[in-house]
Amino acid sequence: MRSLRREPALLLALLAVTALVLLFVVYPQLQVVLTPGPGGYVQYLQDGTWVGPLRNSIQLTLLSTTTAVVLGFIYAYAMVYSNMRWKPFFRLVGILPLLSPPFVVAAAYTLLFGARGVISYGVFGQSPNIYGLNGVWGVQTIAFFPFAYQLIADALSRSDPRMEQAARNLGAGSWRVFRTVTLPLSRPGLGAAILTTAIYILEDFGNPQLIGGSFYVLPTEAYSLISSFGEFTSAAAVSTILLLLALGLYLAKVRLDGGRSFVTISGRASSMPRPPVSAAVSRACFVACFALAGIILLVYGSLVVSALTLRFPNNLQFTTEHFQYVLSGTNGDALRNTLVFSGVAAAISAVFALFAGWLVQRGTWPGRRVLDLLLILPAAIPGIFFGLGYLLAFNQRWLDFVDRGWLIIIAFVFWNIPVGYQAAVAGLRQIDRSIDEAATSLGASSIRGFRDVVLPMLGGSLRVGFVTTFVRAVTTLSLVIFLFTPPTTTATIRIYQLVGDLNWGAATAYTVADIGMAIIALLVFAVLARGRIALGAARA
Amino acid sequence: MSPETAHVRVSHVTKRFGGVTAVDDVSFEVPKGSFATLLGPSGCGKTTTLRMIAGFYDPDLGDIEIGGRRVNNLPVHRRGTAMVFQDYALFPHMTVRDNVAYGLRVAHVSGPDRTRRVDETLAFVGLGGLGDRWPNQLSGGQQQRVAVARALVIQPQVLLLDEPLSNLDAKLREQLRVEMRILQRRLGMTFVYVTHDQEEALSLSDWIAVMNAGKVEQAGAPWEIYYHPRTAFLADFVGAVNLVPAQVTNLADGTATVSFGRHRAEVRRPEASLRAGQDVRLCVRPESFTIAPEGTVASGISLPGTIVRRAFLGDTMRYWVKVDDREWIVDQPDPGGSATLDGPVSLSLRPDRVHVIAE
Amino acid sequence: MTPELDRRKFLKLAGATAVIAACGGAPAAAPSGSVTASTAPKATGRISIYSALNESTNNQLFAAFTKATGVEVAALPLAAAGDLQTKITAEKNNPQADIFVGGSSEFHDPLGKQGLLEAYQSPNAKDVQAQFKEASGLWTGWYTGIFGFISNTSRLNADIGGKKPATWDDLLDPVWKQRLILPDPIKTGGGYIFIATQIFRFGRDETKAMDFMKKLHPNILSYGPTSPGVITSISNGEAAGAPNWSHDILTEKAKDPTRVDLTVPKDTGFEVGAVSIVKGTKNLLGAQAFVDWVLTKDAGDLNTKLSNRGSVRTDVAPAPGAPTLTSVTLVNYDRQWATDNKTRIQKLWQTTVGIQ
Ligand SMILES: Nc1ncnc2c1ncn2[C@@H]1O[C@H](COP(=O)(O)OP(=O)(O)O)[C@@H](O)[C@H]1O
Ligand SMILES: [Mg+2]
Repeated sequence: MRSLRREPALLLALLAVTALVLLFVVYPQLQVVLTPGPGGYVQYLQDGTWVGPLRNSIQLTLLSTTTAVVLGFIYAYAMVYSNMRWKPFFRLVGILPLLSPPFVVAAAYTLLFGARGVISYGVFGQSPNIYGLNGVWGVQTIAFFPFAYQLIADALSRSDPRMEQAARNLGAGSWRVFRTVTLPLSRPGLGAAILTTAIYILEDFGNPQLIGGSFYVLPTEAYSLISSFGEFTSAAAVSTILLLLALGLYLAKVRLDGGRSFVTISGRASSMPRPPVSAAVSRACFVACFALAGIILLVYGSLVVSALTLRFPNNLQFTTEHFQYVLSGTNGDALRNTLVFSGVAAAISAVFALFAGWLVQRGTWPGRRVLDLLLILPAAIPGIFFGLGYLLAFNQRWLDFVDRGWLIIIAFVFWNIPVGYQAAVAGLRQIDRSIDEAATSLGASSIRGFRDVVLPMLGGSLRVGFVTTFVRAVTTLSLVIFLFTPPTTTATIRIYQLVGDLNWGAATAYTVADIGMAIIALLVFAVLARGRIALGAARA
Repeated sequence: MSPETAHVRVSHVTKRFGGVTAVDDVSFEVPKGSFATLLGPSGCGKTTTLRMIAGFYDPDLGDIEIGGRRVNNLPVHRRGTAMVFQDYALFPHMTVRDNVAYGLRVAHVSGPDRTRRVDETLAFVGLGGLGDRWPNQLSGGQQQRVAVARALVIQPQVLLLDEPLSNLDAKLREQLRVEMRILQRRLGMTFVYVTHDQEEALSLSDWIAVMNAGKVEQAGAPWEIYYHPRTAFLADFVGAVNLVPAQVTNLADGTATVSFGRHRAEVRRPEASLRAGQDVRLCVRPESFTIAPEGTVASGISLPGTIVRRAFLGDTMRYWVKVDDREWIVDQPDPGGSATLDGPVSLSLRPDRVHVIAE
Repeated sequence: MTPELDRRKFLKLAGATAVIAACGGAPAAAPSGSVTASTAPKATGRISIYSALNESTNNQLFAAFTKATGVEVAALPLAAAGDLQTKITAEKNNPQADIFVGGSSEFHDPLGKQGLLEAYQSPNAKDVQAQFKEASGLWTGWYTGIFGFISNTSRLNADIGGKKPATWDDLLDPVWKQRLILPDPIKTGGGYIFIATQIFRFGRDETKAMDFMKKLHPNILSYGPTSPGVITSISNGEAAGAPNWSHDILTEKAKDPTRVDLTVPKDTGFEVGAVSIVKGTKNLLGAQAFVDWVLTKDAGDLNTKLSNRGSVRTDVAPAPGAPTLTSVTLVNYDRQWATDNKTRIQKLWQTTVGIQ
């Protein structure tokens, strides 16, 4: 506290960050949460219609998280530990699903694995009914295992190779070392990865919406309450239930994350390679990854094929008409909007989150636990309510002078703060406090020290914040659906519209263009940032 | 010590972390240009004290003054101190040169001037030519020197060092210890140095404050700390020592007569108040003895005994000598110059080397 | 992006005619044979349209409107009328839309009741039947859609014996077990109109209607989240058939006439596609010009051509092969009752078939 009084600039910065968070996170969400009023909540809770969706949500989250984590774990183990070939290829394939709007992929699954799916029916002659619990479970497993893989790989690669070396020296085999040394050491990271995957699955809207049929989970229930019944009150109550669940998972995750840190950068440096696994294990890893990557490629391959053929899957004649359509007229504007909004938001969000992370992690002032909570809160807010809150709060006549694009950008920034913030806190925890203290002790103010020392050293966290915000902004539908206006339409809105419009060819062409644009943007960024794209902890 | 010459003054400073009182009503003064050391076992509050001087922690109670000015309300970067950290805390994303130049850049020291001062300082700490390396390309000792250079180059009023040598191997540690002392002398800068290593403290310092459990147990010149510890803890902590229970039998002006076992000796009377009949402990450093083969007549207190063990320490030979039913540690300097002893011996001890600890 | 635009709008409202001339585009001649905005001041500038119409329809329809009136269009297309309704409700502090077009009147009517629509009696609406418009002009119907049945030809022949349903009761035949897809009555307008149709078919006996829905339930493979999506599913052969919009079925059939076919069972329901002006519009004249224009014969012809829907105008010929309100047997569909009881009926259905 006194340190703030001694440095007014620091105090000002803290006040500014707090004010922004209150304005752009708390205030809009209060608009939503307070909508039902106490009476509204009581009535809705007594009504009891939420019990089913709540039970479904919990059941689905447990099932999908389990399978997604198991598959993700296999992929991650193979990537981190084995010497298998094609690693760069598998890495690239593992990133693809993060770059695409989920609902399009769900649609692709139905075409591949549905009752008349190219694979299920065309290859195996089966007509599975994928609508309902089993279908959503299957789709979420395939859709979210790449997320689980990214998170788990990140957790595993943080373990200290020196410990593994030591254990190997003591005569333990590679699997035994993994089981008895690596796993226990990375348990907090793994736990956090599992919980994060669970949150994504809990909040998933697109997949249950498209193939859940009458299997309602909390997000689809909330959406249909709004969209079909216009019942803001009940929808807000459902979203509050969802928010509490997600928040619970999130707090558990943060506790795990923050509990222990085994790796630190202290200003003394050393590095060591990980001990290799046996050739047989590597081969098994290769086979497993090949199969999993195959599934991903199948889905995305079908998107590309569909984009380039007249009527997938019935008429496979080659055409470029879908792409021409996508790039014609004002259709291209939405792509440009997506690029601009996402890029600007990602840059702002990454830096802001890092600065906020530094203020909180290094600070000693009272109330930092509260700010900490507020900064991770958006991760627990379903996109649709984040957007709705913004609309209720900021769609005011006197704010008309502000370009609507900025409102979308600000929504992107604050919705994605938790990722960059968490990455910053994790990064800071690994940098010994004495390193930034050294800067102040050499005459730099705290903020100067942040700029000169912390910021450059947290390049990794900064990249995570940037890339994740960018990717999430490129792929979100729910956040923008209430915020966009004709000139600020984004790519996902266009895709959603085209899917709804039966224009499957154009929808997939748009998706391919969107993913392609995102990949190019990320590659450019990677070159500029001179580093591998750190999608690793991306969804943390 | 007059207030004018006290460069760093810590008065009645207390710092708590939750339930732990890390620093408990500590006061001391460090004269300008001196090499002052806070010595104590791990966890005794040395680092906390140093960090309060630097401004990283705020004292809960008490004042800190630097150069006669109260600095409690100054932020770290305005205190005119610079700190050398235990882990060096080099900026890993900057070259050695940039690390050293950092403080100057912050202080807006211009280009050529800055380059000159950085080069000079690097040369001064023996790192000329390594300026373009990255920290992770340096050995521990070199990293440590960069850390010192980086702090020195901004010419702080006071340099604060927190166990800067503890991560180095013994030989390097000794070498740097010497360099550190020479450096401080040459610069005439006030150093406040923290260590848990008594040898380091004794060899480097003009002044030592020994801390224990958050309090300063005793402060003074190394010699004083070593030979006239106020407590048994201090005596034991600052080096090998014989602590022998004894009883005051008689008190005179400046001297005290003590009896231990069958022996009786007249020794210097300590500052602490004593009364006749009081139980005390005698503190005798191992090197205070003369050891000779049995039967050799010696001056001072004579203690006949038998060698039970010995250890060759390089510069000294250490004996464990049984006198009556008690083992004494006895060091014989320059062991190469005399034959190794064995069996019954005769110890002699000058009375002025016996220090009485009243507890 | 828009700040410049907003400034233009502002200046325009302030009467800066020079600016209007600069950005209004070339005014086109009013098409003959229709009444265009005959009131004194001329519509200019740009209007923002929230459209629940199909993508392909939007582009050509709005282009034709701009050509006819000189008023430019910024379109916000979302095929889900419910989303647009919600968006307009949520934006009530500062409406972003001037026009809400498309979607059954069920989606417009609640907005009008909440006072979010601007009443407008278009001179072109005077010949529109009363059942197709809101009395005070809060919304006006301009197209109609008839609920029909899509069948996948090969599956119909293989699994059902080639027999298309002549009545809705035919769908209760166990031969359809797990072979039907119904647009979700909660998520889609079509699904709800299907239930309401059953209620009217049983003379508003809700118990009988719910009994029907309950018996139908085992035959339903899934409740589809969007009506067009269901058509895709049937076209792909995921199920043998589905109740759906005739016009969309025709569009699908046009792509490959051998894959799917349309029938309209007896006693079917229909929608009235509406247009309404959002209260607080920043370009009232432009919005009124749009309402006037969609009610013209030209617009009706174009929409019929583009979407296979019917028109509320008797002088607009139906699309080839399209059923009309007179060529099929309709139930006595009480739109106001259906709209007013929507939530209650949907929830009743949910409990009846035991969803949730
Ligand atoms: N930031 C802190 N939070 C809580 N306790 C602390 C903190 N820093 C030091 N302590 C406690 O204060 C006591 C003194 O610590 P320290 O000054 O680091 O000792 P030293 O440097 O002498 O080893 C120890 O018990 C330590 O655990
Ligand atoms: Mg310490």
